[in-house]
Amino acid sequence: MILLPSPSRFLLQILQSRLQNPEKAVELDCHSVEFDDVRYHIQFSVKNPQSMLLSVSLPTPPPEIVFFSGLPFGAIEAIKGAYGVLVQILDPPKDGYNLTMKLNLSKLPPDEEQRHALLVKIASVREVVLGAPIRIILKHLASRKVAPDLDRLVALVHRPNESFFLVPQAEKVTIVYPMRFKDSVDVVLATSFLQEFVEARRTAGLNNAPPCQWSSSPPMDLREAPPHSVTANAGFVTFVIFPRHVEGRKLDRVVWSLLTFHAYVSYHVKCSEGFMHTRMRRRVESLIQVLDRAKPEVEKPKKSSPRRSFKRLSLKDARANSNS
Amino acid sequence: MDAADRPAVVIDNGTGYTKIGFAGNVEPCFIIPTVVAVNESFSKDSRGSGKGNWLAQHNAGVMADLDFFIGDEALTRCRSSSVYNLSYPIQHGQVDNWDSMERFWQQCIFNYLRCEPEDHYFLLTESPLTPPENREYTGEIMFETFNVPGLYIGVQPVLALAAGYTTSKCEMTGVVVDVGHGATHIVPVAEGYVIGGSIKSFPIAGRDVTLFIQQLLQERGEHMPPEESFEVARRVKEMFCYTSSDILKEYGKHDREPSKYIKHWTGIKPKTGAPYNCDVGYERFLGPEIFFNPEIYSSDFNTPLPTVVDSCIQSSAIDTRRALYKNIVLSGGTTMIKDFHKRLQRDVKKIVDARTDASDARHGGDVKSKPVEVNVVSHPIQSFAVWFGGSVLACTPEFYSACHTKAEYEEYGGSICRANPVFKGMY
Repeated sequence: MILLPSPSRFLLQILQSRLQNPEKAVELDCHSVEFDDVRYHIQFSVKNPQSMLLSVSLPTPPPEIVFFSGLPFGAIEAIKGAYGVLVQILDPPKDGYNLTMKLNLSKLPPDEEQRHALLVKIASVREVVLGAPIRIILKHLASRKVAPDLDRLVALVHRPNESFFLVPQAEKVTIVYPMRFKDSVDVVLATSFLQEFVEARRTAGLNNAPPCQWSSSPPMDLREAPPHSVTANAGFVTFVIFPRHVEGRKLDRVVWSLLTFHAYVSYHVKCSEGFMHTRMRRRVESLIQVLDRAKPEVEKPKKSSPRRSFKRLSLKDARANSNS
Repeated sequence: MDAADRPAVVIDNGTGYTKIGFAGNVEPCFIIPTVVAVNESFSKDSRGSGKGNWLAQHNAGVMADLDFFIGDEALTRCRSSSVYNLSYPIQHGQVDNWDSMERFWQQCIFNYLRCEPEDHYFLLTESPLTPPENREYTGEIMFETFNVPGLYIGVQPVLALAAGYTTSKCEMTGVVVDVGHGATHIVPVAEGYVIGGSIKSFPIAGRDVTLFIQQLLQERGEHMPPEESFEVARRVKEMFCYTSSDILKEYGKHDREPSKYIKHWTGIKPKTGAPYNCDVGYERFLGPEIFFNPEIYSSDFNTPLPTVVDSCIQSSAIDTRRALYKNIVLSGGTTMIKDFHKRLQRDVKKIVDARTDASDARHGGDVKSKPVEVNVVSHPIQSFAVWFGGSVLACTPEFYSACHTKAEYEEYGGSICRANPVFKGMY
């Protein structure tokens, strides 16, 4: 697995198992937490087995970002657009969550393929909700006009109390990620990973990919950003997205990849750590083998059975002994 | 938000299936086969190309590192293409291949649960006879590679006992009969502490039931493709097997009414796509019978499971024995076979009663011993009782203080995981 998949495996599994045996009405109440503090709460009741209550909590936004009634800009429209008649948004949402939706599973399309596509869409609710603002901006880019009601520098939340920045222009959108990691080893690995990443972009096969840059100091685009949000211990990554990157069906994948760039880097940092450990283990094992070979042959004392050291008694003597 | 505010991740790695989920849930999020499909072709090719081409070798290594699958995906991938080799990281309840195990955990965390390991406390499980080195190794991988903030390694039988722990019933004394896919252990637990000296293991587990059924089916000449036969036997075991109270009667029943007792299995041959079907007869009850009459399966082991359970209880401290007989808890997927608990209860009871009767007779009838209550507890979540126990445990506020933390690990190293406190109490 190189890229993180957009639909949540857990949600998809629950939905599919529900639809396979719809007559089995069991109560279900479970929760799950994803990277960057996105929480799900799923409820099914016995009374109403066809309707599912799905609550989603989003990462806490940093102060420069304003949520509209607990959700990112344009999220409600995006939900309605994606799920249509299926969904009913409950207001106010459940305590501790940003959004509670009531999904009516009996209204799913009967066609197998469409139904599956819609289930996948429900499972990717994260992309729909958190990706709503970025999707709007990229859509404007595809039609080559700047959204009128947005500022010059847009901050979007992607991790708890952390944001990344978009600079929408008519011909391109510049996206800047301040990369922060908690662990000092991760910082080092991530820095070199990102430098390699930029390097890899220059290979011939990737000419059409969005240009990307890495710098250790905040790029000029972030002049207007609040100072607390432009500190990063693993540098800044800048992508420039052109209209050709968001044409037609590419849009969905671009939205998801941009939204989870930090998670992507962090996943690969963890993997590389794992692989390094595997290598180290293998190396240590091979070195131990070499050491073992170098050990001088120890002259083994000839094993003699302990009984031999005693004088053997003949059967007759033994009897005499035991009788005495 | 602190890591302790988020639910802990509970992973129960069994030989056959791994249960993963979040603490506080009733069911694990995923139950997947513990198997990794590794692509070996890269490493083989690169070795042949010689020393000079180190870059190609390096790239091949990187590709091989990324090209693997776990769980059901691994099984389907392996079936459809020949470049993948299956590797089972856990054998007989012990981690056997640490490379695969690390990969398996990595995919569990990032692909299945999709969580950031730095944000969650982790609860892992181990079988009761795990050597301390394995525990250290586990701690090393968890803290070094995944940077977890805290780790708790629970002992499977204790967690299985904790699964029955509710507010009304706080019973932490009992014998856990854990029959998994690769290992069977009988573990007496007193007040939450394992009685280490009395742990008994039993060489027959779920895998052997499957092998035995496979053998029976093959010997009778059922038409099934040889490469599928293990899989068919496994499905037959899961769907049709039951425990009989008396084999002879059961044979009679099958012979009298074959239409009622003989089941049919239909499948499709993977190579040709042609359908096939086979009959499932005596193996329905003969499969589970190997726990009670092991001599029909193996020639070198012939002590039945109830006898082993009894001798396990007899070897523990005398003041705990009555409590242990009263609470024999089943856990593991293989105990889900129909009526397994009834048969076990009956057989253990028989042994115990025979003993009390004999002692009464010895005393000549003046002293009557109080009858011993034998009770085998069975509940529907047996197959993932260990996971559920872990989930319950990780919800308690004490859990976070019992964990080994990252700070401790950095101060002292892997040795903090070496000893498990559950084993300390009773010596």
